[in-house]
Amino acid sequence: MNNKSLMTNRRNFLRGSGVALALPWFETFAARNFDGGETPKRFVSIYHPDGVGLPLKSDPAWKDWSWFPRGGEKDFELTKVLNVLEPLRSDITIYSGLSHPAARRVHGHSNADQYLTGASIGGEGAYQNSISLDQVYAGLAGDRTRHSSLVLSTNGGVGGPRGAQTQSFNLEGRPIPAMNKPKQIFDLLFVTSGKNARERLARSKSALDLLIDNSRSLGRQLSKHDQETLKQYLDSVRDTELKLAKAQQWIDTPIPQVDTRNLHLDAEPKEARLYFQTMYELIYLAFLSDSTRVATFQLGRENGEGPHDLLSLAVGLGGAHGLTHAIKSPDGWKNLGTYNRYQAEEFGRFVQRLKDTPEPTGKGNMLDNTFAMHGSASSSFHLSRNYPIISAGGQNLGFRNGRYLKFGKGNEDNQAGAGIDTDAGWSSEMELEELPLAKFFITVLQRLGVESDSFGGQTGTLPRV
Amino acid sequence: MKTVRKTALLVLGSAWTLLATNGQVTPISLETAKEQGRVKSRFLKETREVARATDIIPKANVAFFRKSVGPILIKSCQACHGPEKSKGKLRIDQLNPDLLHGPDVERWRAVFNALSKSEMPPEDEPAYALADEDRGRVVDWLTEELNAASLLRRNNREHSSFRRLTNYEYNYALQDLLGLPYLLANKLPPETVSEDGFKNSSELLQMSAMQFETYREIGLNALKRATVSGERPPAVTYILSMQEEMAKLMPKNDTKESGTNKKNKKKPKNQQQLFHRETGETLQFSGGKLLPRTELMAGQTPDISPVVLLLPRSSELKLDLDRFLPDEGILHVRIRAGRSTMNPDEYAGLRLIFSAHTSNNANFSQVISERDIPVTATADNPEFIHFDIPLSDIQRNPFRKLTTTFPRRDEFLHIQNVSNSIGGEEPLQVLIDYIEISAPYYEQWPPKTHTDIFFASDHKGDEQVYGRQVLNRFLRRVWRRPVNTEELEQFMGLFAKYRPGFSTFEQAMVEVLATALATPEFLYLTQRVTINETKSPARISDLEFASRLSMFLWSSIPDDELLKPAAQGKLSEPEVLTSQIKRMLADPRSKRFSQNFVEQWLGLDRMNSVTHVTDRALREAMLEEPIAFFDQALRHNLSIMDFIHSDYAIVNERLAAHYQIPQVYGPHFRKVPIAHSTNRGGLLTSAAIMTMNSDGKDSHPLKRGVWMLKRILDDPPPPPPPNVPEVDLTNPEILKMTVKERIADHRNKPACVSCHSKIDPWGIAFENYDALGAFRTRIQNKPVDATSDLFNRQTLDGIDGLKRYLLTDRQDQFARAMVHKLAAYALGRPLSFADRADIDRLTAQFRRQDDCLGDLINLIVSSNIFIAK
Repeated sequence: MNNKSLMTNRRNFLRGSGVALALPWFETFAARNFDGGETPKRFVSIYHPDGVGLPLKSDPAWKDWSWFPRGGEKDFELTKVLNVLEPLRSDITIYSGLSHPAARRVHGHSNADQYLTGASIGGEGAYQNSISLDQVYAGLAGDRTRHSSLVLSTNGGVGGPRGAQTQSFNLEGRPIPAMNKPKQIFDLLFVTSGKNARERLARSKSALDLLIDNSRSLGRQLSKHDQETLKQYLDSVRDTELKLAKAQQWIDTPIPQVDTRNLHLDAEPKEARLYFQTMYELIYLAFLSDSTRVATFQLGRENGEGPHDLLSLAVGLGGAHGLTHAIKSPDGWKNLGTYNRYQAEEFGRFVQRLKDTPEPTGKGNMLDNTFAMHGSASSSFHLSRNYPIISAGGQNLGFRNGRYLKFGKGNEDNQAGAGIDTDAGWSSEMELEELPLAKFFITVLQRLGVESDSFGGQTGTLPRV
Repeated sequence: MKTVRKTALLVLGSAWTLLATNGQVTPISLETAKEQGRVKSRFLKETREVARATDIIPKANVAFFRKSVGPILIKSCQACHGPEKSKGKLRIDQLNPDLLHGPDVERWRAVFNALSKSEMPPEDEPAYALADEDRGRVVDWLTEELNAASLLRRNNREHSSFRRLTNYEYNYALQDLLGLPYLLANKLPPETVSEDGFKNSSELLQMSAMQFETYREIGLNALKRATVSGERPPAVTYILSMQEEMAKLMPKNDTKESGTNKKNKKKPKNQQQLFHRETGETLQFSGGKLLPRTELMAGQTPDISPVVLLLPRSSELKLDLDRFLPDEGILHVRIRAGRSTMNPDEYAGLRLIFSAHTSNNANFSQVISERDIPVTATADNPEFIHFDIPLSDIQRNPFRKLTTTFPRRDEFLHIQNVSNSIGGEEPLQVLIDYIEISAPYYEQWPPKTHTDIFFASDHKGDEQVYGRQVLNRFLRRVWRRPVNTEELEQFMGLFAKYRPGFSTFEQAMVEVLATALATPEFLYLTQRVTINETKSPARISDLEFASRLSMFLWSSIPDDELLKPAAQGKLSEPEVLTSQIKRMLADPRSKRFSQNFVEQWLGLDRMNSVTHVTDRALREAMLEEPIAFFDQALRHNLSIMDFIHSDYAIVNERLAAHYQIPQVYGPHFRKVPIAHSTNRGGLLTSAAIMTMNSDGKDSHPLKRGVWMLKRILDDPPPPPPPNVPEVDLTNPEILKMTVKERIADHRNKPACVSCHSKIDPWGIAFENYDALGAFRTRIQNKPVDATSDLFNRQTLDGIDGLKRYLLTDRQDQFARAMVHKLAAYALGRPLSFADRADIDRLTAQFRRQDDCLGDLINLIVSSNIFIAK
């Protein structure tokens, strides 16, 4: 482990932001704002493009640099790519054999868009996506917090069709723009003035008053039966009023004061470690202050130049996307594995941070009430199958960790598509069975309290989770 | 065997077969069947007018039952439906003969249905056969009693027409109100469909907080699109003159060998290139990059140039517009084009596609023109065709504003020639000499959508006076009624609160108007209670009547021309009403009626989940056909019996090819006569209906049967019982069977037989149509067997047999079903027993007028049921 540089960075970083600010503020702010003492259920998904290293067994690199663990559900063994998570072994679960059926024969570069949605977006032509997992949950939990969700990515914005730079899509399948500048995210969470929002709310309130008056006077002219029908309208207006009152409450609630002296809010992707850790820290702070319970974070876009390519600088390597193409060069597998290891390491740091923080309501630690996912929509080179997925936490939601869960049939040792470096690989016939990832998402949604038995065109949950 | 049975039927008096001279049975023609079936109509036999609504309090005729009806039922039914056996849990001896006050109306209705369709008593129980005369006596008595019972219940109908607008009605209403021709309401949750298949059924149109908020959002956004502020925004204009391009690309030193080709004076055949019509010079040309022209304005009409772009069939001109198109507003594309040849059987049209390719594998392309626009002008006199595309509604390249060059920022416009050109020596090509692309485009400034709301007035300077004027005009259209002062003041009060937050009058007023668009009187179809409701049944007001009428025929709010007579209380005068209906049906908005009614009546939504039609043109044609067929009947007042069978088809080229109907060219739908051998005619065998009622690979007789019963005959089968055993496809014996054999095998299981014997035969009759609705005579090397026996032993011999049977014996049922479906749609509520008498009366009138669809619209709109609450 490259501990030394890491520790220094970490200390620098934490001195001002995390720990120091968390304690005093957490007692005053957090205690006041938790919704009647209810323990929040949180969801976060991290997406990384370009998949992972998957050498053939016959390759000398297989032993150390194949991403998936070896062995059984409990006695699995992590390779060098993931053994950085060994200290969190009992808090994580690793999955294999899951993918979205509609994307299995679409080029991996097109597929970041559908990782959280499961939509059949295809590889060309007209484009239509559907709601993402996080937004389904935000539909339930969103109005309990100041922000219904936090949508982040290194590149920001929405990206292009089949080249998403956001993981979140709304009910109509339209992309929700992601934020990528730490300063901007911090301002949104902890600085934003409510002036415009206050005016908008006041206007809405007057409009609702008029609408209630207007529909009452109509109601007096209707039959008993029709009044019942109109009542649904009135109830809807009243529900909207309640929502406004809640929003008003958020506006009136002072924004938490945070000491920013040492928060690296100007960090850019080329300062890879600092940037990466700042983004994770902002998610952590948003959760801790219960500013939101839903977050997504996409590390760059599939295939392309751009900020995410610079994240690999953290481990002294050039362009991240290039690493997936250079697997047959000397140290190719090692380099890709090292970069994947670094991603896992940062995820692990974030998970550890949640684990180390007691839940403000007293119910376990924050990790126990947070389901955190880390994954990609391709495994081997451009191959949209066997997504490499890690999850962490969620014990209080019903997740049991410390497991390696293999799904599907015929690919127990993750060799299908291993070692490929041509397009013939990703477009090949699918000869083995994988299970729909959406079924896993349904399990997640149900544990978060969403009463739904279908998602992304699939019905029913995944067994064993 | 078959011959014997048919002969037997003939002897029994059924008039649907004739003995030919050689002793073979020749079925009667479908036209003859139409005539013979009509004569049988129960509705036409009724001499006296069915009792009118109000006058007398109806009484039950129990005496006649005791004397005449009861004994017949005991004799023919009691053996199976009596104390010994009570099949179907029916005890005929225990039904209360007082239909008006007794509890057994629903059971009597079932008895009526079984007897009037001759489903009972079963043909294989000759001992209990019912003489025609006796059957007539029972059916007549039941008709009268059911009718009287229905009238008695009419004043407490359990369903109301007070309802929310459907998503599509709301969308059209906004479009018509604001003059915006775009899809505005695409964010609303989908509607639930009623048992009749309708989306406008009052009790299923719910409202939720989320939906309400979406209405507010859509309303405000639509108003912001309709109104403008400030100066006219400058337009980005691209101009492509083929003459200029050729001059630019022509090698400087004019050596003809390098690039141009002068030797071949003939037009090149299948290459996209620039062509000088006088010199014969050609030059490779594939579009390329255009930059906005600042020195030229859009709207030019330059002289016709001898240099043109030749665009052969299916090829496209791809223009790179870089990153300069604005975010919003109308993209106006003008293309001056002509045809190389004028063969009327050949067609060429232009289509616009928009695309971007931001990085490897991150790309999209999308057809942005709503429909292809035909090129009709000659090459010598090309004419402009134009497209208007709302830029905010199409997929754009999200990277267009980057300051760096990657991901790529360019956006591409493709102009495609969609054609049926045959090729040969003189292939049909599109010749284009001039293209203009500009955005944002405004016909005038401020646009009409703006001045319709913020109109010219002497009082514009006085916000209090002008505000009331604007509100009065707007609210009147939103609410479809005159507005009173109190209501105006309420909205002016809101305006007063909003005004300080905005810099202009218009901005604040737009927010106020958006609130009006969220009022229940816009979102709902109202029917107010008036103080002295003496008439029975109670009537809606003329203004409410106007809204109901325009929702029926336009799926939208009334226009001023309809509101005017309504406000004067004249709309229900027969002459005024008839001329309004005529006007409304002549208006293009009435196309919405054909579309929405037919889609819902036939359940065409199901095509959305069909994945096995991969040809886009075929899918579109399939969806259009039933709508075009209905529309034809509506506009030419044709008999609805044409829906069962017609000697014509309504097709375009693509569908005609699918149906193997020769000599139909071009994408538009038209009426063509067809030979019997095409096995088409009517709606039942439409490709869409066959396709959506298939399993993706093969026909699905069960789906087709259920569809027939639900949609055409209004006789929906009960839902399947729980724990129905699946057909075991792992059993090799079953796998070997044809679909029909599998169904027969399944049907013979005791749990299934009673329902399936009513459903399957209707579907099996369609076995000659495959999963795409193409006609076939063999399935897996076995000849198609499309014969089966209905519950009442009636043999349906393929599609002809089915049509013949419907036309001979089921005309009344189909006509009544059609009246029922149209009335339910027109009223926007489910029909119940209380409506039965009204529907019967309407059906009788309709049948007397020769079943003509146009007449039916008039009958429904002029009926009691349409003006009643």
